[in-house]
Amino acid sequence: MVIDVAPPGAAQSERGLADAMLTGFGLPDFRLPAEREAHDPPEARGVARDGVRLLVSRRGSGQISQHVFRDLPGLLLPGDLLVVNSTGTLPAQLRAGGGLAVHFCSPRPDGGWLVELRQMKNKISRPNGQGCVGQVISLPGGAALTLQARAGARLWQARLSVAVVPYLLRHGVPIRYSHVRRDWPLAAYQTVFARTPGSAEMPSASRPFTHAVVTDLVTRGVLIAPLTLHCGVSSLEAGEDPYPEPYDVPPATARLVNHVRAHGGRVIAAGTTVVRALETAALGAAPGLVAPSAGWTSHVVTPETGVRAVDGLLTGLHEPRSSHLRMLAAFAGPDLLARCYAAAISAGYLWHEFGDVHLLLL
Amino acid sequence: MNTPIALITGASRGLGRALAAGLAREGFALIIDARDAAALDSAAQEIRAAGGNVTAISGDVTDAAHRAALSRAAETAGRLDILVNNAGTLGASPLPALADYPPDELRAAFEVNVIAPIALIQQLLPLLRPHGGAVLNITSDAAVEAYTGWGGYGAAKAALEQASNVLAAEELAIRVWWADPGDLRTDMHQRAFPGQDISDRPRPESVVPAFVRLISQRLPSGRYRAAHLMPAGHGGRHAG
Repeated sequence: MVIDVAPPGAAQSERGLADAMLTGFGLPDFRLPAEREAHDPPEARGVARDGVRLLVSRRGSGQISQHVFRDLPGLLLPGDLLVVNSTGTLPAQLRAGGGLAVHFCSPRPDGGWLVELRQMKNKISRPNGQGCVGQVISLPGGAALTLQARAGARLWQARLSVAVVPYLLRHGVPIRYSHVRRDWPLAAYQTVFARTPGSAEMPSASRPFTHAVVTDLVTRGVLIAPLTLHCGVSSLEAGEDPYPEPYDVPPATARLVNHVRAHGGRVIAAGTTVVRALETAALGAAPGLVAPSAGWTSHVVTPETGVRAVDGLLTGLHEPRSSHLRMLAAFAGPDLLARCYAAAISAGYLWHEFGDVHLLLL
Repeated sequence: MNTPIALITGASRGLGRALAAGLAREGFALIIDARDAAALDSAAQEIRAAGGNVTAISGDVTDAAHRAALSRAAETAGRLDILVNNAGTLGASPLPALADYPPDELRAAFEVNVIAPIALIQQLLPLLRPHGGAVLNITSDAAVEAYTGWGGYGAAKAALEQASNVLAAEELAIRVWWADPGDLRTDMHQRAFPGQDISDRPRPESVVPAFVRLISQRLPSGRYRAAHLMPAGHGGRHAG
């Protein structure tokens, strides 16, 4: 179904190919009007982190309800397990001379990184389509970035002359796209669960959690367990394969997932990254179970793969034609998902990393 | 299922030998080294007799050619899940004050305790990164406490600890642990206290459950003390 809420004359998406593919699976399609985009952190709009809106959908009953995020503990049950991602957000954009910006998108198993070259214009960066194999780019602080090989249409396999993570922590700024109007400090991009810096973009589904919400969850008897998946950039273009991301599902968390499900509790993933990691950990285990595992994952969850080890997903509101919608459809089914997005648009929910969130229960 | 593989240096005696036997029991295939070929062979035979799979390569970790041989063994195995940098040297014995520490002996202690483990890590990172592998560097409370006479060894272990700390910040896809096993009844500890009775110190085997827990539970990167890692039911014996 297509929900057209765009103002007249709004630009068509460039991603015609992805459009055709995704609508073929019956996913909700819509145009996202600018007023549905969160341009600033909620705190800057006078809303507490845990005061953003929470849409809840239940596949079993088909019901949709609306809440405030801090109501989450009351929506879960004692014995449910919330799995969170302990990755921290890196200031993954480097601004070099001549308006050049470099996005450090994801580490590679060989120790190099995938990077994207972008051009700064009016304080926002856009893909610049330049670069050549062997090119050495001087970056602030005396570092040198060598482009080694192309990786798809936009990205490069590259190697920095110094260790990337400490370098970014010192010289980088958070990656920002045009829907966010100004730079915000790194703290605006960290979740309460962030421990190990390694993600190019914030695992934004966890942004609304506060110490108070976590305390409410714990005292209600909702269990919480961590895993790590360092997120790359979300802005994949049509035809780009997702690249492998480093993940780690530790044994204590895997045991807890299996224990909770064996006793009828639900495993709720805080973010699509958690689904990806848990579903990867389920690939090497008996049906319905997860095994401790670590390494790199390219696993993509779709309605075709289904979900094996997760019973619910807390996530943001995703752009039309984004691959994340396919993962959401694996939880909600296309019809309920389309109704959720219609409800979110008509009720004025806000999209993107600083926006409102959606809990999809089976 | 692929068998996990551990490389343990200094595995002919003491803690290294006990760790090797412990990880073999946990199902790891082993690559082990030590300078003393006969002692290493004896350790390997013991592990094989208990059903373990072990490749023993004798040599000195400060020798680049020997480190290359260890790397080749890991490459032949096709994967590496954990590197245990256990080989170490006390340095001069009896333990001299820093005022009197022969610089050549100090340099030699840093070669074994700092440079060699870092060089081995550098060589093996390409095998550790793809599977979310781990590095375990064996260190000491002498790295953080001011024990008189332990300045050479302690300074080298402090350097290894800080190298571990930085490595953990630089490498996103592996675990890095640096762990103090506590005082143990080992030849190295005896060299620190020549002529004294050290039989009150626990045997190296006693701390193996702590290290097995660290490794099998994939605890977060960081500094650990074996005494704090003893699993419930092991009595939590204070190991120094």
